[in-house]
Amino acid sequence: MEEGQTYRNYRLLIVDDDNDVLSLLSSWLTQAGFEVITATSGEEAISKIPGAKLVITDLYMNGMSGMQLLSEIHKDNPLFPVIMLSGQAQIPDAIKATHLGCSAFLTKPVEQDNLINQVKHVLRLTRDTAADNGFAKNIVYRSKQMADLLELAKSVADSNVTVYISGATGTGKEIIAKAIHEASSRRANPFIAVNCGAIPEQLLESELFGHEKGAFTGANTRHEGLFQAANGGTLFLDEIGDMPLSLQVKLLRVLQDLEVRPVGSVKTFPVDVRIISATHQDLDKAVKAGEFREDLFYRLKVIPLHMPSLADRCDDVPVLAEYFLEKYAKQNNKKKKHFSPDAMDYLISSSWPGNIRQLINVVDLCATLCKTNTISLSLVKTALQDVPKEIQTLKETKDACEKNYLISVLRITSGHVANAARIAGRNRTEFYKLLNQHNLDPGQFRFKKES
Amino acid sequence: MNQDKIIVHIDRDLEDLIPVFLDNRVKDIENLKSAVTVNDYDKLRSIGHNLKGVGGGYGFAMITDLGADIEAAAKVNDIKTINELINSLADYLERVEIVYQ
Repeated sequence: MEEGQTYRNYRLLIVDDDNDVLSLLSSWLTQAGFEVITATSGEEAISKIPGAKLVITDLYMNGMSGMQLLSEIHKDNPLFPVIMLSGQAQIPDAIKATHLGCSAFLTKPVEQDNLINQVKHVLRLTRDTAADNGFAKNIVYRSKQMADLLELAKSVADSNVTVYISGATGTGKEIIAKAIHEASSRRANPFIAVNCGAIPEQLLESELFGHEKGAFTGANTRHEGLFQAANGGTLFLDEIGDMPLSLQVKLLRVLQDLEVRPVGSVKTFPVDVRIISATHQDLDKAVKAGEFREDLFYRLKVIPLHMPSLADRCDDVPVLAEYFLEKYAKQNNKKKKHFSPDAMDYLISSSWPGNIRQLINVVDLCATLCKTNTISLSLVKTALQDVPKEIQTLKETKDACEKNYLISVLRITSGHVANAARIAGRNRTEFYKLLNQHNLDPGQFRFKKES
Repeated sequence: MNQDKIIVHIDRDLEDLIPVFLDNRVKDIENLKSAVTVNDYDKLRSIGHNLKGVGGGYGFAMITDLGADIEAAAKVNDIKTINELINSLADYLERVEIVYQ
C-alpha cells in the first residue's frame, strides 16, 4: 500500500485567519494524501470538528485563539490530537500548549516535510490509542517512548518468542504482557499471571508444575499447576528475579523440553505455553552476582522490552491523569472533574517514584476530596504528600504481613514452635524455615513471657 | 534602481496558488503604507509577522526575511527602517520571476 493511500480517509481540519497559510497547508497535505477542510476562525472550526481526525490551528487569531480552541476541543475529548502553529517561538506558549494537551507545537514558517511528518506521527499515536481496536487498545499514552515500545511489542506479539519485560514497580509490565497475549494467536487460551516473589519457595514449585496426591505433607489432592493450566496460552512470570535458584533450573528444563513433571510424579506432561517474564530487578547484576542463572536469563530475554518510568514519559501524565479522572467518574457515577493548568503542571513535573500506580492513587484522592469541578494545585500538593511515594511491591507487602503473622502466633504460643506450627497449619520443619526467612527467634518470645 | 530579474524556483504543485499569493502581497504593501501614514505600529507589526510566517512556505524566503525585519522594526517604532523595508518588498515583487519546477 502506498503511503498516501494510508491516510486517504483521514480528514484534517486546518484553522488560520490567514488565507494564504490555509491555501499553502491545504495544498501540502492534500498532496500527501489527506482529506483537508479549513476554517478561518476558532468559532468556525468548532462546527467542523465532527469527522475530523486532527486539527492544525494557528495560535494567534482574531476572536477565539488557538489555545482556547484547544481547550474547547478537549472538553469533549481530551485525547483529540491538535497541532499548534505559531509565528512566535515563545517557550511559555509552547509549554502551556503542551500542558493543555497539544500534540505538537510548530513555529512558522513551517517546513513542508516537518509538518507532514508531525501529522503522520501524531495520527499514528492517536490511531494506536483511540481508533485501533487491535493492539494495546487499553494503554493510554502519547509519548514517543511508549509508541516505540508498543511498536516493538506489537511486532513480536503474534509469535511464540519469549519476551522479557524490565522496569520499575508500577510501570505497567503486566498490562504490556497481556496486550502481547491478546494480540497473539493464543488469545483464545488462558493468560495466567503469577508473582514468583509472592509465593513461598516451597509452594512455588507445585504452584508452577503441579503435584501428585501425597507428594508432600498436606498434598491431599492432585494439583495441575499453572503450566498445564496455561496450556495453549501465555504464562506471565512476574518478579522472575525473586525465583529461587533451585527452581530456576527446573524452569529452564521446562523451557528446553516443553514438558513438566509435577512434584511427586514419575510422568511428564507436554505443555505448549508462551513465557513472558518481568522483573523490577537488574538481572544482569543478579547474573554476575551468581543469584540468577545465566542460561535461564538468556533463554527468557529473547526479546527484551523496557517499561519507562512515569517520570521518563512525563508527556503521558496529562492524558493518563484525564483517563483516570474519567474512569473514577464512571466508577463512582460522578461528573468528571479537571485539573487546573497549574495543578497539571505540578503533576507533570513530579518525580513519581511509585509510577502509574501512584498517579492513580493521587488522581483518585484528588477526585474524592475535590468539592468543585476543578482540582486545584494545593489539593494536588496535599495528595502527593499523603499518598506514600514508596509504594511497596506485592512481595514486600506479603513478606511484612507474613512476618507480622508469625510474630502474633509466636506471642500467642509464648514461642512454643510445635504449637505455633499447628496453628499456622505447617509442619515444624516448614515453620522453622519460615522463622529463618524472617530472622525470627522463638526464644525471644519465651524470654519475654518469663520476664 | 536595479531592474535585474530575481529568479525564484517554486514547486509546480503551488502554481495555481502563486498569483493569489502575490496579489495579496501587493495589497500588503498598500496596507503597510497606509499604516505608516497613521503610525499604526500594531498593524505594521501584524503584517510583518504574517509575511514572515507565510513567505518561505511558498518558496519566497526573501518575503519571510523582510516580514521579520518589518515586525522587528515596528516593535521599536523605527519608521525610517520600516519605509526602507516596504520599498525593498515592493522592489522585490516588481523584479521577482518565477520558474516552476
